[in-house]
Amino acid sequence: MKKAALMLVVMLFVLSASAVLMAQGYETQPADAKIISLGEEGTAYENQELGVQGGTMYVGSFTDPKKWNYVTSHETSTTQYTNLMLKGLFDTNPITGAIEPELAKGWDVSDDNLVLTIHLREGLNWSDGTPFTADDVVFSFNDLYYNEDVETDTRDILLLPDDTYPVVEKVDDYTVMITLSMTFRPILNSIGAPILPKHALAQYVHKLNPDVPAGTFNSCWGLDTDPAELVGMGPFIVESYAPDQHVTLTRNPYYYHYDANGTQLPYVDKYVVLTVASQDVLLLKFRNGELDALGIRATDVPILKREEAVKNMTVLVDPDVAEYGTSWIGINQDIGLAEGTHENMRTLFRTRDFRAAMSHLVDKQSIIDTLYNGLAVPQWSPVSYLSPFYAGRDYYGGPVTETNAVVFEYSLDKAAELLDGIGIIDRDGDGWRDYEDGARVEIELNTNAGNTVREGVCLIVSDRASKVGLKLNFVPVDFNTLVNKLFASTGEMIVLGLTGGNEPNNGSNVYDSCGGLHFWHYSACDEPTETEKRIDELLDAGVGTLDNDVAFEAYKEYQITLADDDLGLVYTVNPAFTYAYFNKLGNANIASPIASPSGNNGLTMDLVFLK
Amino acid sequence: MLPLLILVSVISFGLIQVMPGDYLTRARMNPQITQETFSQMMANYGLDKPFYVQYWLWLKQIVTKRDFGTSFETMRPVYWTLFMGDRLMWTIVISSSTMLLTWLISIPLGIYSATHQYKTSDHTLTFFGFLGLSIPNFFFALVVLWLLVAVFKVGNYGLGVGGLFDNRFINAPWSLAKIRNVLWHIWPAWLVIGTSGMAGLLRYMRGSLLDTLSLQYVQTARAKGLSERIVVYKHAVRNAINPLVSMLGMNLPTLVSGSLVTAIVLNLPTVERAFWSALQMQDTYVIMGGLLFFSLFLLLGNLLADILLAWVDPRIRYN
Repeated sequence: MKKAALMLVVMLFVLSASAVLMAQGYETQPADAKIISLGEEGTAYENQELGVQGGTMYVGSFTDPKKWNYVTSHETSTTQYTNLMLKGLFDTNPITGAIEPELAKGWDVSDDNLVLTIHLREGLNWSDGTPFTADDVVFSFNDLYYNEDVETDTRDILLLPDDTYPVVEKVDDYTVMITLSMTFRPILNSIGAPILPKHALAQYVHKLNPDVPAGTFNSCWGLDTDPAELVGMGPFIVESYAPDQHVTLTRNPYYYHYDANGTQLPYVDKYVVLTVASQDVLLLKFRNGELDALGIRATDVPILKREEAVKNMTVLVDPDVAEYGTSWIGINQDIGLAEGTHENMRTLFRTRDFRAAMSHLVDKQSIIDTLYNGLAVPQWSPVSYLSPFYAGRDYYGGPVTETNAVVFEYSLDKAAELLDGIGIIDRDGDGWRDYEDGARVEIELNTNAGNTVREGVCLIVSDRASKVGLKLNFVPVDFNTLVNKLFASTGEMIVLGLTGGNEPNNGSNVYDSCGGLHFWHYSACDEPTETEKRIDELLDAGVGTLDNDVAFEAYKEYQITLADDDLGLVYTVNPAFTYAYFNKLGNANIASPIASPSGNNGLTMDLVFLK
Repeated sequence: MLPLLILVSVISFGLIQVMPGDYLTRARMNPQITQETFSQMMANYGLDKPFYVQYWLWLKQIVTKRDFGTSFETMRPVYWTLFMGDRLMWTIVISSSTMLLTWLISIPLGIYSATHQYKTSDHTLTFFGFLGLSIPNFFFALVVLWLLVAVFKVGNYGLGVGGLFDNRFINAPWSLAKIRNVLWHIWPAWLVIGTSGMAGLLRYMRGSLLDTLSLQYVQTARAKGLSERIVVYKHAVRNAINPLVSMLGMNLPTLVSGSLVTAIVLNLPTVERAFWSALQMQDTYVIMGGLLFFSLFLLLGNLLADILLAWVDPRIRYN
């Protein structure tokens, strides 16, 4: 009898304990919840509206995720999901692009800019109900990102220019101290890397759990992991996954974003991403009403515009808002250097006026009209158009003025004049320009085969060059061959693009004279030109201050110097942002490249609701 | 069979090495990855070693640990990556149903065509057969989907296109309605893959039967006064079908690989689609695993065809 009573007590205890564990969500809104001021005037969200909870939203994606492990992932097909599951200390505002506190509620900076004290939001839980504390932050940095046993490219982003890492220490449960060895402005951005749950992941880290072999963490949270084991702080958690079919995410009951009415976000209960490998089929599925929103190509715009009113959808096209990233023609100033060949060409490519002539030969308007249906923006700067540091914006210091704007308009006359000026003229009367020794200037222009837009750019540029007697031979090659050519410095002229973001310093690996991707002039690391020295200085100045206005001035000069004097890369055009959604979606107008830094289909998923 | 498989693996491994670049080439273009990290990744994946060492390590792993390697992308075993989820099951369901339908339709049509040689109906059948053969599958599949969406506007009836289910069935438990929905999503695959395979089968059947019908024993049968039905079906077809049995064997690998292009357009989960994405990413060991798996089935298919042939044709005996 006594035993039975004991059993009963134990059972009751287990039941109540499991009831606590299974409690879904906060009982009341946490004091430190993040309030999104939808519709409030004077805030970034003034054009948004308060929504209602409920419903399922459907979108499409090209590829399946490769794993659920953010730390070891390299590509957006994975991060588009992990970024919905995880949150960092800081994040980018989806409308302004400014950095704002996420899991942190605020931070103090010491007078010498070297110590950041970060105050965490209190009383928050992971999606499984476990409390979130400073231990998770310290774990994420010290045991994952800084752990040599873990394969991650986040470690490179956290590396300071003096080859040290920010030191992360716990002060108390809700305070973290970050110590730097030097002032580094982009630090808020890089330490905004997602925070991972210590209670769920510590068991896979060899350092903390010697029972598991080294490298175990690299394969944990794979696609075969039961989604119930995945834990996050973001708006959604994975519910189910079927290869080549769909990923279904469900709301995180412990998400800490609330709207001004006290409604917990996200608004939608479920978010389903259908895997569709063909863009044409994605478009058909969208037109069939199976997808609620879709990132579209410029060529899809006319088709959807015809149906816009009938089907009650919105086709979002802003020809002035360009996607992140750069598209350019790289002119290899080191061509033949290692082999001791191509001397004529190398001298020519190292002449600034030749590169300026090439800039005048880029018929940007034709490229925009014929290859992008008019939906693209001419590009001149290495900094992405939407970045607050783009010299053409007035976000910080004010835009570049008429006098210092760098525009190489399309002009055959100016190109011809520049080429004449450097002695590249037709010497034997065959219609093609020659070097001083009489050999014909004949340059191979490469891009990756199969990319129809880049192939089109090559055709247009080589056609315009032929009009001034400059012979460019367009040869498309396989992407990997092209990359090998870049790194081996064996390509002559190459049309390609790079990804970009808000932070200009992310391009330092490309534009710094010793950068690993400074492929048009690798020898600059040993003997930089005056211009390249100046660019290195400006890049350092841009990160060596915490004052954004000062940084902006440095980046402004950097952009102008690079575009006007250096011309290492000759920029072409950047596609405009195009998006379509059915009007039953609320707050879908937030869609912009800023709102999708990680490829979340252009929508800030926690704010979208079904009307 | 084993030496053949090893030969296949050597050639495939060599071919993968000939492809420019490797799995990490793309990562090199990421401005945020430093050279040190890149070299470390090369070492982690074993891509810094010469290819014959890579091949040797891979082969040794198979023999000693029965481990076919790990996918660079998913960090999971190769065959898990290829067959993940229900891919293999769906591939077999879709391919075998398509094959069955194609055979059930084209064999009778081939017989009809042969017995109505040079008549209008024969020409019409041949015309449509070749039409199906010559329209590229991806294009035909897109046209079918486009017709459904833009012309028949199936969305208004709550029907979806592509994939296995409509949205509302995605996470629903199995039911009669769900099975009906799968059928709605699979018929375009039957149509597209079926029409492309029909012409060949139909012409084979027709040609083979015509050959047989001109043989003397058929004339003898007719002379005996047997009815035309019995002459054709009992005497001629039974012998004419032998070459097709060998073809059936060769079709076995498609049962497990599926039809790539159609699967991409119609968004069906098939093994070949996973194989294709591994090819694109240069995920070496998944490519190797896929090739071995498909070659194995090709060999098995040939074996099966020989056995079947011996069974249907008592004259064939292997000693």
